[in-house]
Parts: sequence; C-alpha cells; structure tokens
Amino acid sequence: MSKKVLDLLQEKFGAAILATHAQFGDDTAVIEPGSWRAVALFLRDDPRLGMNMFTDLCGVDYLNQRGEDEPRFEVVCHLRSLQYAHRIRIKSRIGDAEGETVEIDSLVPVWKGADWFERETFDLMGITFKGHPDLRRILMYPEFKGAPLRKDYPASKTQPLIPYREGTLDKLFPFGPDEGMAFGRQTHDYRNDRGES
Amino acid sequence: MATTTPAETPPAPPPPPNTIKIDGREIPFKKGDTIIRAAHDAGIDIPHYCWHPGLTVAANCRMCLVEILPPPGRPAMELDILRWDVEKNDYVSARKPKLLPACQQGCSPGMEVLSDSSDNVAEARSAVQEFLLLNHPVDCPICDQAGECRLQDYWLEHQRKGKRMQQEVVHKPKAVPFGPTIVYDAERCIVCTRCVRVSAELALDPVLSIRERGNLGEVTVSPGRELDHDYTLMTEHVCPVGALTSSDFRFKARVWFLRGARSVCQGCATGCSSFLDYDPRTNTAHRYRPRENLAVNKYWMCDEGMLSYKRAHEGRLTTALVGREDATIDEALQAAKEQLKGHKNDPSKIAIVLSAQHSNEDNFALATLAKMYLGAGDFFLAKRKPGRGDKILMSQDKNPNTRGATEAAGSSTPKPFADLIKGINAGTYSFVIALGSEVDVDDAEAQAALSKLKGVVTIASHVGPMAMAAHIALPACAWSEADGSYSNNPDEALRTKRPNGEPGAQLQTQRSERALTPQGDAVPAWKLVATLARTLGYAMDWKKLADVRAAMGPDPRTRAPSVEAVAIKPEATV
Amino acid sequence: MEPLDQDLAEGELELPSEPMLLNMGPSHPAMHGTVRIVLELSGETIMKSDVQIGYLHRGFEKMCERGTWTQIFPYADRLNYVSPMLNNVGFALACEKMLGVTVPERCQHYRVVLGELARICDHMICSGAMCMELGAFTPFLYFARAREIIWDIFEEETGARVTHSFGRVGGMAKPPTADFKAMIRAGLPRVMQMVGEGEKLILKNRIFLDRVEGVGKISKEDALALGWTGVCLRSTGAAYDVRKTHPYMTYDRYDFDVPVGTQGDNYDRFMCRQDEIRQSIRIIDQALEMMADSGPINIDDPRIVLPPKEDVYTTIEATIQHFKIVMEGIKIPAGECYSYTEGGNGELGFYLVSDGSGTPYRVRIRPPCFPIVQGLSQLINGRMIADVVPTFGSLNMIGGECDH
Repeated sequence: MSKKVLDLLQEKFGAAILATHAQFGDDTAVIEPGSWRAVALFLRDDPRLGMNMFTDLCGVDYLNQRGEDEPRFEVVCHLRSLQYAHRIRIKSRIGDAEGETVEIDSLVPVWKGADWFERETFDLMGITFKGHPDLRRILMYPEFKGAPLRKDYPASKTQPLIPYREGTLDKLFPFGPDEGMAFGRQTHDYRNDRGES
Repeated sequence: MATTTPAETPPAPPPPPNTIKIDGREIPFKKGDTIIRAAHDAGIDIPHYCWHPGLTVAANCRMCLVEILPPPGRPAMELDILRWDVEKNDYVSARKPKLLPACQQGCSPGMEVLSDSSDNVAEARSAVQEFLLLNHPVDCPICDQAGECRLQDYWLEHQRKGKRMQQEVVHKPKAVPFGPTIVYDAERCIVCTRCVRVSAELALDPVLSIRERGNLGEVTVSPGRELDHDYTLMTEHVCPVGALTSSDFRFKARVWFLRGARSVCQGCATGCSSFLDYDPRTNTAHRYRPRENLAVNKYWMCDEGMLSYKRAHEGRLTTALVGREDATIDEALQAAKEQLKGHKNDPSKIAIVLSAQHSNEDNFALATLAKMYLGAGDFFLAKRKPGRGDKILMSQDKNPNTRGATEAAGSSTPKPFADLIKGINAGTYSFVIALGSEVDVDDAEAQAALSKLKGVVTIASHVGPMAMAAHIALPACAWSEADGSYSNNPDEALRTKRPNGEPGAQLQTQRSERALTPQGDAVPAWKLVATLARTLGYAMDWKKLADVRAAMGPDPRTRAPSVEAVAIKPEATV
Repeated sequence: MEPLDQDLAEGELELPSEPMLLNMGPSHPAMHGTVRIVLELSGETIMKSDVQIGYLHRGFEKMCERGTWTQIFPYADRLNYVSPMLNNVGFALACEKMLGVTVPERCQHYRVVLGELARICDHMICSGAMCMELGAFTPFLYFARAREIIWDIFEEETGARVTHSFGRVGGMAKPPTADFKAMIRAGLPRVMQMVGEGEKLILKNRIFLDRVEGVGKISKEDALALGWTGVCLRSTGAAYDVRKTHPYMTYDRYDFDVPVGTQGDNYDRFMCRQDEIRQSIRIIDQALEMMADSGPINIDDPRIVLPPKEDVYTTIEATIQHFKIVMEGIKIPAGECYSYTEGGNGELGFYLVSDGSGTPYRVRIRPPCFPIVQGLSQLINGRMIADVVPTFGSLNMIGGECDH
C-alpha cells in the first residue's frame, strides 16, 4: 500500500527525487535540498497522502564514506499518516567535506513538531535550518563549541565549564585518547584531531 | 584455360574471448592463469589456505574446491558417494559432481565456475573446515593470530557447526623454537606447506619440510640446521594460522588494537612497501607487515627490514642538544643563530649535508635553504655504512633514500662525506648545516672533524656520530611520525630478473604515511629547517607539508626518475 | 504614602509593569529527570515559557558508534529507565529487522510479558508521581509498593531490578526461570489490588479533579502536528497504538483494548494510563497462557547468538564463535532501517545505519517524550504556575529518554 507514496512523489516531483528504495520495508526517497519544503508540504497536504504525523528528524554524518564531491551530511525525516497508516522516510544530502556551510530549509512552518528535532540536529550535527523560529542549542550548554555527533569530533574530548583539577583527566579513561573496541574500522580519522598531516 | 576459383573457405570463427564465468559474473583471465588467480585479480575471494599469489601451487588444503560445469555436450564428472538419509537413518547411494581445486585448475575460455552459488561447494567447504578444526587446540585466547586467523573467519562464513568427532584430539609439540626468530606450534598447524614453499622458493633455502603423514603431519627443520635464513619472518607472515609465530612479536599486542599505516621500510635501499602496525593508545609501533607492491617487493620483506620497525623508538634524539646538553628547541635555535653568525660573509664556507636516511621533503627543504637563501653550493651526502645484500630483496645500500637525497641537490651532485672531513681539516669550511646523523666513514674520525668547528647544526631523528659531534642538534621526526616520500635505489643485482623468473625491483618513489605522534620534542625535519631559516632571518614560510610538496614540483611518483640509480661500491663491512 | 481612598482615574496608579522571570528547575522536586522551565509571569499567570532540556544528555548516540551492536543494550536500558525492558525489546527488534530474522515464538511471548510488566511500572509511577506532586502522597506509595512486586519478578528473571540489559539480538540473555509464570500469576492480582486502592483514594477527590480536569488541554490536530504519540496522543482522541496498528511480535494474537480519551487534558491522560495498566494485565495473562514451558529462546544462528559457556571453554568451534561475535560484533548488513515499538510513552523509534561491519555507524533514538515535552509550552502558556505541576507530571517526561 505504501508503494503508492513513492509513486505519487515521483509523479509530482520527477527530477527532484534523486533516488528511492524500500530496503527492509521502509520506503525512502532522497530529495534534492532545494525542494525539501515543497515535498514536505505536498506530503502533508495531498489528500491521498495525508502525512500529518511528524515522527522524527535527524542528521547523519557520512564523513569519508562517500566520494570526494558528494555532500557529507544527510538530513533524514520520518513521517506518518494517521489516516492511512503509511510511512515514509525522506532524506536530503547537504554540506561540504569541511562541514562549514550546512543548511537546509526548516520544516517548522509545515509541522510544528519539527521545532525541537531541528534544534537537536543543529546542536549535535551543526546543520542550520533556514527559517527556524528559534534555532539554538537544546541538549548541550550554550558555551559548548562544535558539533559533538560529527565523525571528526573525538568521543573522548571534554569541554568542562569549570576546568578539571590537575591529574584528573589521566584517571578518567582506562586507555589513552583513543580507546575503544572498534575492530578493523577507524571510527574517526584521528590524524585530523592533531592538525594537518 | 579455365581457371578454377579456389573453394571459398568460410571465415575463421573469432577466437573465444579470454573470460570465464564465476557465479554468473564474467571475468577476464590471462593465459596460464588458474581460476583462483583470475578471481583474485578480479577481486573475487575464493576461500583458500595453502594458495598464495607469490608461491607455487600446492593444492593440499582443498578449501578452494569449486564446481565446474561440464563443457557443452559432455556429461559432468560425477562420483558415487554415500549420503546420510535422516529419515531412513541409514546411508544411501548418491552421486555428486567432482569438485576441482580452483588453485590448480587452469582457465579456459567460456568456463563456468560455481563457487558461492553451489550447494556442493558449500558442503565441501564446511567439511574441509570441520577436518581442519578436528584436532585444533582451543588456543584462541593465547594465540597471536586471533583476529587475523583464517580458521576463525572461514568457520563463521562456511561452517558454523560443531565437529562430530568424539575422541581425544591428537597432541603434538607446542612452542618449538625453529630458530632465533620463529616459534612453531604443531597442534595449530594445518600442514598447508606455505612455510615450506616460502623457504624453498623465496629464500632459496629449503630448510623446512613435512614429516609424518595423516593427522600426525607437522613441519620440521632439516636435521642439524636451524631456521636461520634471511626471510624467516616471511614464513610467519604466510602462515594462515598461529602455528608459526615471530618471537619478536609473540604476546606483545592484540591485532585488533593495532592500526596499520602504509609505510616504507627504512632498512635498505630496496624500499619495500610495508604496513607499520602500531597501537594508537600507547603510541608504540609493534611490527611490520609486508605490503603488496608488485613493482618493488611483490609480497615480501626480509628479516632485517621486518625488524627495523624498532628504529621508530630506539636510539632516538628526543630533545634538542646544545653543546651536547639537553635544551629546548627555541634555545637551540637561538644558539644556532649565534654560532652561524657571519655565514653571510662567505657562503662558500658553508657545507650542506643531505641525508639518505631522511625523506625527499626534508632533503628538499634543506637544499632550498642552501640554494635559495644561503647561497651555499657545496653538498655532501650522509649515509649509513653499506651492509650485506643478496640477490632476492636485500640491497647492500642500507639507506632508504639515497636517490632522493641525490635528486634533491639538483645540479650540484652531493659529494661523499669523506670529502667533507678533508675539507674541514683543510679549513675550507667554517659552518656545517646537516640533516641526519649516520655517516659512512669511521665514526670517530667524523666526530673528531665535526667537533673542531663551532658552527655545526644537525637536524636528526636518531643519535649518531653527527648528532653527537654537532654543537647544536635539533630533534626531527622519524619516518613513522611524519608523512614523507622516499625514492628507492635497489642494487643492480635486484633489478635484474629474479632467480625464480619474476621481474626484478623497479625504481619507484613511494609515500609513507604517518603513524605515531612525535616522540619527545620531535618536529618534522622540514619544519625545523623552515624554523631555522626564519630564525636566521630568511622568509621560508612553509606551514604544512602540502606547501613543501607544492614547492617540490610535480609528484615524483608519477614522473620518471631524474637520477639513475646511484651505484654504491660493493664493499661490505659485514 | 499616597492616600488610597482618593478617587483615581483608571490607569494612573503606578504599578510595576515588567514581567517576572521565574525559574523552575532543573533541580526541582516536580521536574522529573531535571528539566528547567523558565517562566515569564504576569502575577500568577504564565505569559511565556521556555522549556530547557538537556541536563541528562549523556551522549548515547555517540557512544553507540564506538562499540558493537550488542553493547548498545545497556545504553538502551538507560533511556526510559522506568520501563527499560521495552527499550531493550525495541532495540533488539530493530537489529533483527535489519538482519531479517525472527526470534522463536516462546521468546516473543517472553518479551511481551516482560515488556508489559515494564509498561505497568511506567504508568504506575507516572500516575503516582503526579499525585504526589499535587500533595497526595499516599497513592504514590501504594503504586511504588506495587512496583516492588514487579521488580521482584524482574530480579528473579534478569538479576537486576531496574536496568537489566536483558535483551539480545536474536533472543534474550537467559531463558525464563522455573518460577516465572507462578510468580507473575501470584503477583499481578496484588498489583491490581494496590492500584485499585490508590485510585479509590484519589479519583473522587475534589481537589484532584479540579486541578487536572480541563487543565493542559490540547487538540488532536495540534498533538499530531507536534509529533505526539502514545498515551498523550490517545488522550486527545487519536486512536494510534503501535501494538494495534503495526502489530509486532505476537501482539496481533492477544485480545486487548486501547483506551482513547476525548479532551486531551490531564485527567484524560491520567485515566488512559490507569486503563492501560489493566489492559497490560490482560495481555500478560494471555501471553502466559500461550507461552510454551520449554523450547528455545534464542534463534539458532551462530552468527548472532553466543554459544554456551561450557562449550566455549572446551571446543574450538565455540571459542571461535564467541570470539568473532564479541570482538568483531554481529555483522548487520549495510543499510538503514527505522524500527518502532510502543514504548512507555509512545512510539519509540530506532533509526539504525549500518556499514556492514560489527560497529554501528549511526544509531538514532527517537524518544517518544521528546516531542511531547516540546508541546509543554503550548499547554502551560496562559495558565497559572500551579498548573505546571500536574501538566508536566501527566506528560511522563523521562529525562533519560528525552535527553539521550
């Protein structure tokens, strides 16, 4: 039944839908960033789709996973319709390898619920949402610098508001700055942490 | 006279394309290739233990058995077997196509091979895996191979069941030292004979062989001998299980904590590609592994090279020295400025020493300082003394970058270090700015000569005669701590065809990746050169390695070498 | 001092006209799990409110990327820590969806029973805490005593009262104990009795009803747009329960109702929760009937489940299996998947991105109470400070889940 959703989207938006798939049974459409809000409005307002339940919005950082020129981040939004009980995941690929200007339209004018989800993605991934009424950090404290969920932000880095006492940091971790179980895969390119190569 | 036109011969059919099909995927093959080699070149993995791309075929593990569909019009070759029928609770006769080892079967055009898509092959792999694990000791927690062991990987991929044997396993000797570098564990051995073949074909010293038969088989060293040729660590490298272990690496580190940086061996001028395995948590290098480089070292490295990873930590110069006393780099640079006062008056009094132990970038930086800013034109070359070479992989020239250092000097070819000593003794030179610390003349002589002058600055990663004799020594990063490129210089004997018929080593410039964080106060040598230049008042403003590489010009890896291989006199001191 | 009996025209009296900023929390008895609400007041009425969360943010999603898939279960527990079993089951189902495997039926019933017990705990504590903050301390103690009974069952089964980490990809950590069914059948009637007594104390109380009826109202359309799910959404009239609409595991075989409210105020949310407790008990009774007394709990796939310890120490095959699963992690195929279950507060979603290795690439937890707390501002603007307490209590915001 949900196959209809992807078909209707492709009918209406044609080229703006870059790819679709239904892996593991979840309908997914990759949207070109410029049409993000238009697609959202269509999904909400079209009587055959009626996506009135905003479920989730998050960002994923594909650092070094895609080709050189591919956008680094992905904004992923899950939606559902109460009436038809179908779901869809829409994604959009944005951002450059440095992670400097990463922006996309805000969905707050379409669903009020996008508010805090976009704030969280802004906070943890550093993605800016244009048109958001109140884009500020939500989970981290305002003095925090950087976007912690990005792949190049080291997991062991701390930014204490009150500096630690001498010798405390050595006792905090059992291993050095790069502890972990990641077997066979570098979870982040630590070379970048120490500056240029 | 009536001429008869010759009967028209039909055009010859086009030759069949040189491709075979594996699981429906068409891949090309070269004449003489076996199925597994064609698959290996195409990136398809057919599980195997005893086959190695650099060794001859043994076909004793039987893990690479594949099903080959019969040519059109011919029946399949089938065997009569007995299969257990669960319902009848008895054996029943059945027929099964004969499977062939992919490592031995040559490719012919149009051949269709079933590897992962055949149930018979899956059953065969599971059976082989069961047999190999039948007597295998429960050693994973203490075995060095854990994490890079084929038995582990293939069990999970192909068998996933327990074994059916109920008896006690066969017990064999464990932890038998084969020689100074290798320890053998017979219970873990699957008798694939890779080590036997490596010793015979690579090291040209057939000292290993197999004794006993059946499930008592084990590897043994020829009586009266030890495993002591120059490639013993290659036997450990090719061993797919933990039977052969290196005494140097045994119990040192677990491989899943190690990361492999793509490095270049610094042991000799052959410049074998390697992986430097290091633990980022403790910032220690633990071992080398050879990296595949068909142009230079194929799949191998010599023992001397394999153990040369220790130079990442041993004998390092970690702090700056002023007058042989510890100092900070800033203090040393200020002292250098003092000592080099007056160098602008007469540039011909400055001697520049390039190092065959440092990378192209480091040498280029010093050469640029000399030519562009100091105006000095007298270059010398500091090298390690030559050693023993062979016709397989080892060069007599024990410096990784002789050719690179020579190239960096450009038109003014660097002269041997002995000339520098003569020059100092004659009073020609008052200042020496040097890279590296090892010299190929008598150490005491070199130290005596250099100590005569006050204006000697050395930038070195390891301690040695030059670093000890210099008034000011600055600590540089070793090859493991900074990215760099090295131009190899293999001996004449190595560049010709190998004894086993393979092509010889080629001239190549390779880039080595950084692995560890710098020890002590070490800074990349090119950066030290730039800082020294700035201290002396010259505007050398390189900040990143990319800046240096941009200034060096086109990527040396892609252009032809501008300097022919530098021959060294084959006088060995070892 | 001006004479106050003089006749003054309206608006001439100088009154302070700046709104007052009052800070509720984060360290406040009524702010469950540390939340800070900055209120701009005009007298007792709230003009504007800014709900600030994040005090319990522990970086779960980042930590999940540094281990294996199985190592996420302790993190999942600590999301909604009043109903940890539901989180465990939700995450296990997400991994199994990507692997394409289904656990044996006995395990499914087992998971349902443990999950519904956790849900009962969640609802009881939410209702109890809400009553306590209104001044009615006794129902909270009654519900907490009932929760002790359920925690005893959990302790027997899993070894821990609160954060069990009992779920595994492909099954559960241990099979049910011999007394499993007996303990539950003995304990649930006592739980029900205590819940009933607690309700009797509170539901006819005039003060209670005045404070919750008509307070914190929200319309169905607003709730849907805000992304509300679970009890809070059902109280507005939208009948959406993941267990009924997208049944997972064996939920389609049980006979149970989903209470739906009408007004969307605090009272409806409270009553929906109480009714759900009873429905959960129905589900548990049916599941215990249907659950076999013997049979496998874990699926029989060496790539996913660990072998028995005695085999690990004696056979090489089990050692290898244990080694590969623990050191490298379960190899979930590359791709992305969104899997959702009915958590204590609503739709608990896991959006997993895998790159084919044993380490997760991205684990996104969609917390059900995150959008719910987002709507808190709208509920309290225009009301009085005292209304914040029951409203916030009825939303059941769990700090661990909201801030993950």
